[in-house]
Amino acid sequence: MKKRKKGKNIGFLFVLPWVTGMCLFGVVPLVASVFISMTDWGILGDFNYIGLQNYIDIFNDEIFYVSLWVTVRYAIFAVPLTICTALLIAVFLNIQTKAVGFFRSVFYMPSLVSGVAVAVVFKWILDPNYGLINSVLNIFGIKGPNWLFDPNWVLPSYLVMAFWGACGGYLTYLAALKDIPKELYEAAKIEGAGFIKRTTKITVPLLSPIIFYNTIMGIISAFRKFSDAYVLGGAGDEGRFYMVNLYQEAFSFYKMGYATALAWILFVIIMDITIVLNITKKYWVYSD
Amino acid sequence: MLIYIKVNINLFKVIKIYLYKYTKSFLRSKGSMKRLKIAFIHAVCAFLIFSTVFMTGCGKNTDDNDGNTYVFATWAAGEELKEFQEIIDRINNEANGDFYIKTLSIPSDYYIKISTYVAGKKTPDFFWLTQELISKYASMGVIADITDEFKASTEINPDTFYPGVLASAEYDCKYYGVPWIANPLIVYYNRDLFREAGVDFPDPLGGWTWDEFIDVASKLTVKKTDSNGNQYQQYGYIVDGWPNIETFIWAGGGDIVGENGKDILIDSHETLKGLGILQKILKSGITPKYSEVASLGSNNVWFEKQRAAMFMGGIQDNFEEKISKLPEEERFEIGYAPMPVCADGKPHGFDWTASTVMSKKLEGDKKAFMILEKITKEFFKWKIAPPIKGTVEQIVEIDPLKEPALPTIKICLENARSANYTPEWNEINDKLWNRIYSKMLNDPDFDYETEAKAVAREAREIMDKRK
Repeated sequence: MKKRKKGKNIGFLFVLPWVTGMCLFGVVPLVASVFISMTDWGILGDFNYIGLQNYIDIFNDEIFYVSLWVTVRYAIFAVPLTICTALLIAVFLNIQTKAVGFFRSVFYMPSLVSGVAVAVVFKWILDPNYGLINSVLNIFGIKGPNWLFDPNWVLPSYLVMAFWGACGGYLTYLAALKDIPKELYEAAKIEGAGFIKRTTKITVPLLSPIIFYNTIMGIISAFRKFSDAYVLGGAGDEGRFYMVNLYQEAFSFYKMGYATALAWILFVIIMDITIVLNITKKYWVYSD
Repeated sequence: MLIYIKVNINLFKVIKIYLYKYTKSFLRSKGSMKRLKIAFIHAVCAFLIFSTVFMTGCGKNTDDNDGNTYVFATWAAGEELKEFQEIIDRINNEANGDFYIKTLSIPSDYYIKISTYVAGKKTPDFFWLTQELISKYASMGVIADITDEFKASTEINPDTFYPGVLASAEYDCKYYGVPWIANPLIVYYNRDLFREAGVDFPDPLGGWTWDEFIDVASKLTVKKTDSNGNQYQQYGYIVDGWPNIETFIWAGGGDIVGENGKDILIDSHETLKGLGILQKILKSGITPKYSEVASLGSNNVWFEKQRAAMFMGGIQDNFEEKISKLPEEERFEIGYAPMPVCADGKPHGFDWTASTVMSKKLEGDKKAFMILEKITKEFFKWKIAPPIKGTVEQIVEIDPLKEPALPTIKICLENARSANYTPEWNEINDKLWNRIYSKMLNDPDFDYETEAKAVAREAREIMDKRK
C-alpha cells in the first residue's frame, strides 16, 4: 500500500514539468491571444483595446473570403482524395507478398520529408516548361498546363502534392486492417460475396472509426495548410490559403491583433466542422 | 544578473518546501477524488511558482546597453558579413574604449526577428531598415527622430544626399534614418546582340522614350539557332514582376501615393497611362511569358545567357564579374543606358535604398548619432553607390568593373527616386501585385483599369483607418 502511494507521488512529479510546459507555452498564449485579438497590436508598438473591431473588419474584408474559399475548396477535394488514396494503398499493402516490407517503407517516405523541401522539389516538378510532369506529357505529345502560373490550375497543382503526400497516411489504415477478423472475410466468401462486396460491407464499415479520425485530422490539416503554400504561392490569389493570409497580416502588414482574430475564427470554423462530423458519426461510423 | 540568481535561489527553496508539504498532504488524504482535487490544486500552484521563475528571467532589465556597448543588427551574411565586421572592428579600434559596437547578424527572416526583438523590448540600438518600412517603424514609435542631429551634422548633412534617396528616410517631414546606399535601376544591354541585329546602341546619357525602348526591344526579339542546331527564342527585354510596378506607373507620370503621403493615385489618368505601357510591353511579345521565366531560374539569368538583350537591374548587379567568369564563347560586351524617360522627360528609375536607423531609446543621444555618422561614412566607401552627390567617381574605387557605366550611373543617381511610402505601404503593394501586376503578367489582355479603380478604393479605405 505504501509502495503504491509512493509510486503515484512520483508519477505526479514526473508529469509536473510537462504540465507546467503545456500551461506556460500552450494555455497562457492561448488565453493571451483572446485578449490580443481584441487589440490593434502591430508587434512593433503599444496596443489599444478595440473590442470586436478586428472581427468586424475581417468580415468586411474581401481577402478573408478569398482565402477562406481557396482553403475550403482545397479541403473539399484534398481530404477525400488523401483518405481514398491512403486506404487503397493500405488495402494493397495488406496483401502478403514477398516485397511488401520494401513497399511499405517506400510508401511511408513522403511523411518523413519536410513540407518546405517538398514544396521546393514540386516547384521544379510543376514547372510549365521543364518540369517533370510536363516533360513526361510532352513525350506523349500532350502540352501540359501552366500549373502554378495558371489560376485555373493552381488547385490541381496542390492536389497533385496532396496525392503524393497521401501515400504516407496509410499506416493507420493498415493497422486497422490487421484488426479485422479474417473469419468475416471467410464467411463472406462462403456466402458468395465478391471483392467489392467484401470491401464495401466488411472492410469499409469496420474501418469507419479510423476513416472518421483521419477525416477530422485531414480537415484540420487542410485548413492549416501553410508551408508549401507559402513557398509556392499561386497565380493571382489562387495560392492565398487562409494561413498564408494570416501570416501575411501578422508579419508583413504588422497587424498581429487582426491576425490573432483570424486564428480564432479559424478555430471556430474547424471546431464547428468537427462538431457536425461528430453529430453525423452515429449514422456512418461503426461501433461495437 | 546577481539579483536574478538570488531571486531564483529563494524561489527554489520555496519550491522545495512546497513539494515536501504537498507529498505530506497527499499521503494523508483519503479517497481518490479528494486526492485528485489536491493534486489538481497543487499542480496549479506548481505552475504558478514555475512560471514565476521563468518570468523573473524574462522580466530582467532589458536594456543591454551598459552605456558603452551598442548592438548593430544587419542582414549581412557570409562574405558581406565579413566585410561588415571589418568595418565595425575598425570603428571599435578607433573608438579607444569610448564605445563598442556589437554585431547582430540576422541573415534570414530579418524583419520578423527585428519585430520580435522590438516586441520583447530588446530593440537593437542600430539596425538596417529598407525604405518601405521606415514610415511604418516611425509611426509605431520604434525608431528615433534624428532630424535635429542630422541637419546639424557636419559629417553627413542632408543637403549632400541625392533628394530621391533622402526622401526614403523621411516620414511626416522628419528624418528617421540615414541612407547608406543608392541602387538605382539602369538598363543593361548586350552590345553583341545589338550589333548582330544592326540596332544602334542607346545613348549612355539617356533620353529615349518608352516607345523607343519597346521598338528597340522588338528588333531584338528574334528566333535563333544554337550551336547544336536547336531553335530558341531571343527576347529584347524581360519583365516578370521585376522591375516593380512603380517603374511603369512613374513612366506614365502617375504614382501610387501622393507626395503628401495620404492621397491614393492608383486610379489617376497618369497611373493608368503607365499601366498601359506595361500592358503594351507584355502584349508586344518582347518579353518571355511569365510562366516561362522561371525555367532558367531567375530573370537575370536570361540576360546572362543572352536570351534577353536588355535587362533593368540595379547598378550594384555584378553582371560584369559574372560574365568575365564565363567561357570565352559565352561572354559578351555589356552596354549601359539610363531608364527610358517618364512623362516629364526625365529618367526616374526606381532607387532601392536602405537606411541605418536608431532605436527610439537613443533619440536625442548625441553620442549615438556620432556613432551613426562614423558607421555611415564607412559604408559610403563599401557599397555602390554612396547616396552622396559628387561621389560617382568613388564607385570605381569600390568596383573598378563599373567604370564604363559611370556616365550612365551619374544620370541614374541624379534622377532616381523612391516611392512615397506610408505605414500602409505593404498592404497597398500587396494588392497592386496580386490584383494588378501578377494578373497582367498571366493575361496581357487583363482589364487593369477596372481593377486599378477597385484597388484604389480599397487603398483609400486602408488609409482612412489610420488614426
